[in-house]
Amino acid sequence: MANYDVIIIGAGPGGYVCAIRCAQLGLKTACVEGRETLGGTCLNVGCIPSKALLHASHMLHEAEHNFAAMGLKGKAPSVDWPQMLAYKDETIGTNTKGIEFLFKKNKVDWIKGWASIPAAGKVKVGEEVHEAKAIIIASGSEPASLPGVEVDEKTVVTSTGALALAKVPKSMVVIGAGVIGLELGSVYARLGAEVTVVEYLDAITPGMDGEVQKTFQRILKKQGLNFVMGAAVQKTEVNRGKAKVTYKLKKDDSEHVLEAETVLVATGRKPYTQGLGLDALGIEMTKRGQIAVGKDWQTSVKGIYAIGDVIEGPMLAHKAEDEGMAVAEQVAGKHGHVNYGVIPGVIYTTPEVATVGATEDSLKAAGVAYKVGKFSFMGNARAKAVFQGEGFVKLLADKETDRVLGCHIIGPGAGDLIHEICVAMEFGASAEDVALTCHAHPTFSEAVREAALACGDGPIHS
Amino acid sequence: MNELRCSLLVIGGGPGGYVCASRAARLGVDTILVEGNRVGGTCLNVGCIPSKALIHAADLYHAAVMQSRGGMLGITVAAPKLDFARTQEWSRGVVDKLCAGVGGLLERSGVKTLKGWARFRDGKTVEVESETGPVLVRAENVVIATGSRPAEVPGLAVGGRVLDSTAALALPEPPARLAVIGAGYIGLELGTAFTKLGSKVTLIEAGPSILPQYDERLTRPVRRRLGDLGIELRLGTRSTGWNDATGELGLDGDNDPLGVDAVLVTVGRMPCTDGMGLDELGLRQNGPFIEVDDRCRTSMRGVYAIGDVTHGPMLAHRAMAQGEIVADVVAGHAAAWDKACVPAVCFTDPEIVSVGLLPAEVPEGVASKVSEFPFRANGRALTLDDTDGFVRIVSRESDHVILGIQATGPGVSELVSGFAVAIEAGLRAEDLAGTIHAHPTLSEALQEAALMQVSMANHG
Repeated sequence: MANYDVIIIGAGPGGYVCAIRCAQLGLKTACVEGRETLGGTCLNVGCIPSKALLHASHMLHEAEHNFAAMGLKGKAPSVDWPQMLAYKDETIGTNTKGIEFLFKKNKVDWIKGWASIPAAGKVKVGEEVHEAKAIIIASGSEPASLPGVEVDEKTVVTSTGALALAKVPKSMVVIGAGVIGLELGSVYARLGAEVTVVEYLDAITPGMDGEVQKTFQRILKKQGLNFVMGAAVQKTEVNRGKAKVTYKLKKDDSEHVLEAETVLVATGRKPYTQGLGLDALGIEMTKRGQIAVGKDWQTSVKGIYAIGDVIEGPMLAHKAEDEGMAVAEQVAGKHGHVNYGVIPGVIYTTPEVATVGATEDSLKAAGVAYKVGKFSFMGNARAKAVFQGEGFVKLLADKETDRVLGCHIIGPGAGDLIHEICVAMEFGASAEDVALTCHAHPTFSEAVREAALACGDGPIHS
Repeated sequence: MNELRCSLLVIGGGPGGYVCASRAARLGVDTILVEGNRVGGTCLNVGCIPSKALIHAADLYHAAVMQSRGGMLGITVAAPKLDFARTQEWSRGVVDKLCAGVGGLLERSGVKTLKGWARFRDGKTVEVESETGPVLVRAENVVIATGSRPAEVPGLAVGGRVLDSTAALALPEPPARLAVIGAGYIGLELGTAFTKLGSKVTLIEAGPSILPQYDERLTRPVRRRLGDLGIELRLGTRSTGWNDATGELGLDGDNDPLGVDAVLVTVGRMPCTDGMGLDELGLRQNGPFIEVDDRCRTSMRGVYAIGDVTHGPMLAHRAMAQGEIVADVVAGHAAAWDKACVPAVCFTDPEIVSVGLLPAEVPEGVASKVSEFPFRANGRALTLDDTDGFVRIVSRESDHVILGIQATGPGVSELVSGFAVAIEAGLRAEDLAGTIHAHPTLSEALQEAALMQVSMANHG
């Protein structure tokens, strides 16, 4: 047993960033993690491996679809699946070892094992009980389950199983048209699977800008993804390695069955708090099973904090990281802060989708008068030069003050374009501020500036 | 002679000229644009766009070749065959589409486009040698947006197997052996692309380093990549002349002549200010450039100059920004050049970008702080299998105001406009550090470099 200033439970992006920050601020810090490697869902079975597979399969897609047009001729490439998985694993390895190195460098103790909190100020791992002035719960989330759907991680899989399938299936049903379902659905579609996405709602990527949703779905359809919308999945059955998915269409209650080699359940994620002993501590929870926290991320029990996927808000690594930094500063007696109004979200399909701030729907609901500046990548030189003219940048600004309120991008490199708007929103920029900033030519980012011009007296290239 | 009258005459249909003309016309100014070639200028026809198309094709071809030798991505592929004629056809297709787009834009905006070469009679009267005969244009305002052309090396006349960038972009095949004279960004971009397409490239530079405007740290990853790709770099070396009979390029000092199939000369660009009667106008010059004020006004009332003919970085986006300002000024709006920075991009491998001040450019007496975050510690870079390089922030030590941001590494060309926003806004390092950057993206490296300024990086 040992005494610490802070013990963090969970070494995902929220937890490990928080731990490093605490140590940097001079606190004696430990981080409890039961997984074999650090990095949590994101690095081990989430963002990073999925991006590795997206990158590799995107290269394949380029070779198959765009090489000939550019004068690059040859036999169609084939997929060496074990090697692709090895590449993914190597990427994971480099990332997680990097975190291990950072822990050593910053003198964060890694307590291996699964934690429980027997009382405020105490963390039990295995048989040992450690003491800490502050405890930060960063235990993350797990895939949500669906009634009637039994996950075996072989035929019926969550995102975790989908990142390590034994072979590329000939057919795949994806339940849920959210970020995870569409990213992994794209990967397997590019690798040759017949992919059908079944979504309960009538639009994909719920909560996103309506125009982005429509354009995105149209492009994905063109890439070969099939969609069944407004469908409630009733059950899945597995027979000799084949799965049957039964769903009911909401419009007429008719029942249909889809067959597939693999079923990916991607209906969202839920907070993971199992085994922590929160009930016994009497920690207050929200109705949706999240840990309730105050403005300083403290739970209803003094000295116990929570961040990341276990609390309210979008389940995003960078949101957790920012909370991790802020709570570290709070615990160290400083003034950590998170601006929840500016949290970007990215989907790493081709084209990418990125979004930050308000949508038209949310502004309408709030009764805010706004203007829309939209610019198509068809008018962007670099996008045209690399076969990526599909999509657009849509900037929303206050009608009176011109202040940037939100941005929605579907197009090449959207994930890296959005950060400019995040910075702009963080300092309360007007669309004109963005428009008056010289943007490099020829880059995709010129489309962002054109959208900003479109909020004023009009874009140049349209 | 046919006579035309207008409020605004723009000479030159490159990015500066066409942006100026279309914006002015849409602001209600009666505008004529004169261009002797196809609209789009150097950038679209023989510069940025075809070179980026070539670089894109070369990158993918090279990636496929490397993959065929047992790359790590898990895509089994036989080395593709390069059908360069098809590549060029594709590139021309891209250029055609974009030029047609500019043509359409001018038309929709209500600009009258005259095809022909312009010659000043006086500051308000220009004679255009058009296809249908000479036209005299009388304008209240004239914008000189005639751009630039490749500079030449004395004793090495361009022609035949001695190429400028324009000729290199139109080659029917990648030359087996290519000498590139000048290790600026154009030479590096094209030299690298041709190497990836199979040429054996020797890069000859008179100075002691590549990309002399940047410091050694910033160019180091590019220099390392040149070596990895098998490009031979000869610094401190000058060419002494081309012998077309033997196909040898003479080099100074003890160097043996270099046997090559083509020589590409990329030693910079010169403003195009001759051959249009400009001398007689007697505009005030700034070296070879036309001197302008912050509204791009020359020393003669009603005569403006924008883009590469004015002093400053020869970049399409600077020209466009100037073009917008002139359009506004002529339309009677308040506008002036007050940019805090103009981003610069080298589409090298890896890319290099810079906005604001380099560490060495910080004025004496201003204490500064430099932080650098490596892409090796960036998750997205790892998933792209492309981790060379870093993001660097230069700030003023007293108040952490950001003075400059540079980067080299994967996809940094798409990060640089965000860097420019930060500098335009006069942000401090804390502001960037406090902005959530999406994970996993390359842009996180910027936030980390800012965190290093403020306290410590999370991942460094």
